[in-house]
Amino acid sequence: MDVSCNVSSIKLKNPLILASGILDENGYTMKKIIESGASAVVTKSIGIEERKGFETPVIYEEYPYFINAIGLSNPGIDAFASEMNILKGYNVIGSIFGTGPEDFSYLAMKMQEYGAIAVELNLSCPHVKGFGLEIGSDPDLVESIVSEVKSKVRIPVFAKLSPNTHDIIEEAKAARKADALVLINTLKAMKIDINARMPVLSNIYGGLSGKSIKPVGVRYVYEVSKEMNIPVIGVGGIESYEDVIEYIMAGASAVEIGTAIYRHGKGIFKEINNGILNFMKENKIESLSEIRGCALR
Amino acid sequence: MCFKMRYSYIIENVMENENTHTIFFDADFNALPGQFIMVWVPGYGEIPLSLSCTGKPKAITIKAYNEPGMKLINYKKGDKLFYRGPYGNHFSLVDGKKLIIAAGSGIASMHPLIDDNSIIIESLKRASDIIFEKELKGRAIFTTDDGTLGIKGHVIDALKNVNLNDFDMIYVCGPELMMKSVFDFLKDKNVRAEFSLEREMKCAVGICDSCSVSGIQLCTEGPVFTN
Ligand SMILES: Cc1cc2nc3c(=O)[nH]c(=O)nc-3n(C[C@H](O)[C@H](O)[C@H](O)COP(=O)(O)O)c2cc1C
Ligand code: FES
Repeated sequence: MDVSCNVSSIKLKNPLILASGILDENGYTMKKIIESGASAVVTKSIGIEERKGFETPVIYEEYPYFINAIGLSNPGIDAFASEMNILKGYNVIGSIFGTGPEDFSYLAMKMQEYGAIAVELNLSCPHVKGFGLEIGSDPDLVESIVSEVKSKVRIPVFAKLSPNTHDIIEEAKAARKADALVLINTLKAMKIDINARMPVLSNIYGGLSGKSIKPVGVRYVYEVSKEMNIPVIGVGGIESYEDVIEYIMAGASAVEIGTAIYRHGKGIFKEINNGILNFMKENKIESLSEIRGCALR
Repeated sequence: MCFKMRYSYIIENVMENENTHTIFFDADFNALPGQFIMVWVPGYGEIPLSLSCTGKPKAITIKAYNEPGMKLINYKKGDKLFYRGPYGNHFSLVDGKKLIIAAGSGIASMHPLIDDNSIIIESLKRASDIIFEKELKGRAIFTTDDGTLGIKGHVIDALKNVNLNDFDMIYVCGPELMMKSVFDFLKDKNVRAEFSLEREMKCAVGICDSCSVSGIQLCTEGPVFTN
């Protein structure tokens, strides 16, 4: 049995990647995650300059949902070099964010120089003004960012799209020059505490993630896989091997796992990998490619 | 596991010194010494605070140096205290003799460990910084930077005169430099010791990476580590 998979030119020993923004600001933390069984890690989204992020509270948790407004806190691309150095020889996908094609291509070249095996363009953070949402919902801007980055780096370019859009296909088509699409980022959301009579997050709005968004993620992966011929990485609410299989059947080449770590710990990658292997054995599946997209109608 | 935001009513707000208060609140969750909660001061932010009492009632002890802290120390009996948790691991509980080594408000997280079987070394800048005076008097060896209470000097100056073999467990909490000096001092001695580390914490559930040291998340795998 073979759980390995390919995402454009990248070969991964299993389909389980760490999602951007979760335990991936420090080199040693990412190393631990890879040693725990993830086939690759996506870094926290890194920008040109350091950002402190929003004031606390930056998360609100009430299983099965999770809302965060970390606010793209990051050390800036220059300072991030030292974290990437710790990860030499490991499968690291550099996530980057910026305001336009120039920012993105500069950051992508830096990530390539630091040894990233691919870059993931964060075109979709829902709670930071000027980044993400505004970009994700402007197809022309998406197209020019992807083209510009593609023309500047040799490593594969992944485009992470926003679910906060009225037409995912339009957005996906705008990013078609990417080597893969990553679906989905968090959904814009908020929480009001009825006893304090105010929003909990200091930023008021945040991004919804975790188990509650899985059906939305699966739907987006399905819809895009049905309409377009491009590798898709599925993200959103994955907690079990069943969730991974579901994404793969919807057409995903690989998946990213984020929020679930707060309940399952770093051991989740091995757990899920074993679950997938058992499922394959029981169902006499030799390779994941046999079931990839099998649910598409 | 549920870390949902909740609230409890404040029973009492006790002023420990000029800028440190202990707030007692009525909560029935289970917690152990060393664990912390994330306290939300609506409109001002959220901060990690060790439980300074883990039984009933529970308490937090706040040294106010930021905006949420400053608001918090003015809370009154009957006010709502919003929080999530408890989070983190805890100190090992032992039956034998305990040595508690603290600097400043680091004593807060070890306050639940103080009993008739414990000796405390408490290091302060000056005598007026003392907190938990009632519990410490008679059990503590003090050191102060300016010599206004106890030995003039640092924890190690007190530690040197203690027979470490008398103790079944040593607990340490305070600024990192102080803990490093104790860690180094104890290195070649055959003693059991636990250190509680403090770092900026944003999520407290092990996903944001803001509290990590060498790939370890203090909020979930700590804050207590053994020597
Ligand atoms: C705390 C937190 C921080 C995140 N930060 C980023 C980020 O910096 N860049 C990004 O592209 N996505 C970020 N995300 C979104 C995740 O990568 C992922 O798309 C989303 O959470 C859905 O997957 P999950 O349900 O497995 O977490 C973040 C999510 C969380 C929960
Ligand atoms: S505070 Fe977020 S990982 Fe510890």
